[in-house]
Amino acid sequence: MKISRRSLLLGMASAPVLLRMQRRPARPKLAAICTTYFKYSHSQHIVDRFLEGYGWNGTWHHPPMDLVSIYIDQIRDDDVSKSRLEQFPTMKLYPTIAEALTLGGSKLAVDGVVLVGEHGRYPRNEKGQTKYPRYEFFKQIVKVFEDSGRSVPVFNDKHLSWNWEWAKEMYDTSRKMGFPLMAGSSLPVTWRTPSIEMPMGARLREAMCVCYGGVDSYDFHGLETLQCMVERRSGGETGVKWLQAYRGDAFWRAHQEGVWPKDLFEASLCRSHTLKPAREGFNDVRPSVEQMRGLVKDPVAYRYEHHDALMCTMVLMSGLIEDFNFAARIDGQPGIFSTQMYLPMPPARTSLANFFSPLVNNFEQMYLTGKETYPPERTLLTTGLTAAGVESLFRQQARYDTPHLAIKYQAPKASTFWRT
Amino acid sequence: MKRIAVVATVYRYLSHAQHIGDRFLVGYPRDGAWHKPDMKVVSLYVDQKPEGDQSAARAKEFDFQVYPTIAETLRCGGSKLAVDAVLVIGEHGDYKRNDKGQVLYPRYEFVKQCVDVFEKDGVAVPVYNDKHLSYSFEHAKWMVDTSKRLKFPMLAGSSLPVTWRLPDIELPLNTEIESALMVGYGGADVMDFHGFEALQCMVERRKGGESGVAAVQMIEGDAVWKAGAEGRYSKELLTAALSRSDSPQGQTIVDGRTQDLVAKGELPKLVKNPAAYFIEYRDGLKATLLMLNGAVKDFNFAARVKGAGIQSTQFFLSPEPNVTYSACLVRKIEEMFETGKAPYPVERTLLVSGILESCLTSRVEGQKRLETPHLSVQYRAPQVSQHART
Repeated sequence: MKISRRSLLLGMASAPVLLRMQRRPARPKLAAICTTYFKYSHSQHIVDRFLEGYGWNGTWHHPPMDLVSIYIDQIRDDDVSKSRLEQFPTMKLYPTIAEALTLGGSKLAVDGVVLVGEHGRYPRNEKGQTKYPRYEFFKQIVKVFEDSGRSVPVFNDKHLSWNWEWAKEMYDTSRKMGFPLMAGSSLPVTWRTPSIEMPMGARLREAMCVCYGGVDSYDFHGLETLQCMVERRSGGETGVKWLQAYRGDAFWRAHQEGVWPKDLFEASLCRSHTLKPAREGFNDVRPSVEQMRGLVKDPVAYRYEHHDALMCTMVLMSGLIEDFNFAARIDGQPGIFSTQMYLPMPPARTSLANFFSPLVNNFEQMYLTGKETYPPERTLLTTGLTAAGVESLFRQQARYDTPHLAIKYQAPKASTFWRT
Repeated sequence: MKRIAVVATVYRYLSHAQHIGDRFLVGYPRDGAWHKPDMKVVSLYVDQKPEGDQSAARAKEFDFQVYPTIAETLRCGGSKLAVDAVLVIGEHGDYKRNDKGQVLYPRYEFVKQCVDVFEKDGVAVPVYNDKHLSYSFEHAKWMVDTSKRLKFPMLAGSSLPVTWRLPDIELPLNTEIESALMVGYGGADVMDFHGFEALQCMVERRKGGESGVAAVQMIEGDAVWKAGAEGRYSKELLTAALSRSDSPQGQTIVDGRTQDLVAKGELPKLVKNPAAYFIEYRDGLKATLLMLNGAVKDFNFAARVKGAGIQSTQFFLSPEPNVTYSACLVRKIEEMFETGKAPYPVERTLLVSGILESCLTSRVEGQKRLETPHLSVQYRAPQVSQHART
């Protein structure tokens, strides 16, 4: 899948030279391409951090770059972008994606693109997937790159697309054109309690994330939680062979029958800070399976096998917990390796969704250095897994083979989660 | 199996007695497993039975007795001490406040009655005292001195020193701390105590160990901003501490934005009645606790450390109702009950009890600086980190 710059140039003699070496500007200019901008939307969390700065490493950090243009697909009644545009006149609103990238001119005029296609009113398809226009936005961005003979780093919030083929095309395009691409969730980069990292080269057989939320939504975050840990295993990532979803009664049956390891499930729950008390008058009590059945109306699991035989299970337990917990068994280590990926989630617990800070900080580095701090292949795979989970549910929870997810990559050696 | 007596002001849902006591009854999450202490609660005393009292229901379900007096609770109705450890939880319940605004929780009175039994029966067992030892330093000192005299281990204090930290930092032992600052929220004589405990568990690790406190002053209102402008506390440390907060108020509540509250001058607009507690340690270290109700809703620490710049972290108070931070505390209590050794010195909480009392005295005495020769409490921090990190 890797294509060298040289072979690409040789092979694309007739194409415009898109890949000429760029000198990194000292202070990059960024364009934000957003679906919508209201309080606690992803755009607000992300774009505000470029405008106002954010707490980082024990000081107030202003990213050394300027977000100079913004495109917003849907301006809602509760829009808050207007106040930002007034307060930060260096950021200008453009009516099209192309104009946001060219700053109203004819050529690409920014050094990086922030693509936030989360939230907003978009139709759902028959499988329940919200058709967020990330791919459509991305295509328009790439069109400007092509027309300008120059490309710049792109960050894509959350999964690449609800549609696997499109996601693959997005990834392939970035590789073909040679621009850095980062994507994904905050879960891989947020605080962990405890603050631990999967040892590089760990031998894993089973891993699990027990979290909450809905299908084609937080399932993606659960999959990213798993993937950022298991990708560090011995041999690196090998891709996924098949996935099977379990929901409702089938979920409880599988749980009882031990389709996934109960001890990892239990360890995950024991990392939660939000375990719903199953008994009145108690604030923190271990629930029985019967009690969990009473609390969780729509349990969902995605169980899947990687090509190297690692088994992973992502479980959505809305009603029981409201956090993301990881557990795995590491060969040669006693006990279970477990942690929580902690999201200080507003408005119940906090006022700021500060898990966006390490996410922004990671892709900020990409705009400065031109290097991805973690591989987009992670999110390509979790995008495919999210779609595969939806597909398996759509096919009456049938096992779904995923030959297209034979995605191989190596995790970065350095930890990229929030620990300073 | 160790036998535990619980001596509490009240036992109702979300009271400290329920948080802590229940974990001995039903277990708690620990290191990614559900841990059940190898101990049995055998007796309970509750001073008040308000609406929602759970004492009888817990006693019935978990097979122990509620006794009408503390002595009977410790002797389980017999003639001799019949427990291996005592949990004293004098938090919550309907108790008067004095003119300094201190709630007169009867912790000293409770511990004194335990000590009476220990002395009469010729045996003493470990005691955990929840929160500060007493509103009165004199009483607090008696409690600690008595534990030394009768040689029973004692642990006390808040969950803050043992909860998760974001980030997970610890100051190295014998570090040179140039100045320290804690930002907290909540009311006087309640939440300020937690702020002091968090501050103290960090600064006690400094070079030379804890030396005690020479003077304190508590000021309120605009004087707090004036003191900041005059450099009495560091703006840089305040920025560092607030950079760790997940709960800025004001414009963040309105439209979600991040805010540099210090640089933007938002604090005076958000905080109607700020309070600053200034601590002058005997070895020269100066520390400040700022209670900024209206600005944030979490506890954040910053210190300037020689050779390591500014170190800062949030003491993470995990959400209600689980308050898993209290599981971190119960782990330490259990450790003392099990081993007979307090994992960290009760002198920390003795000093904090005295600092808090003197600060509240300063407040009612015209917010003047008070010398505190009685607070020459000296001790060494534990070698090993005690906060949640596994």
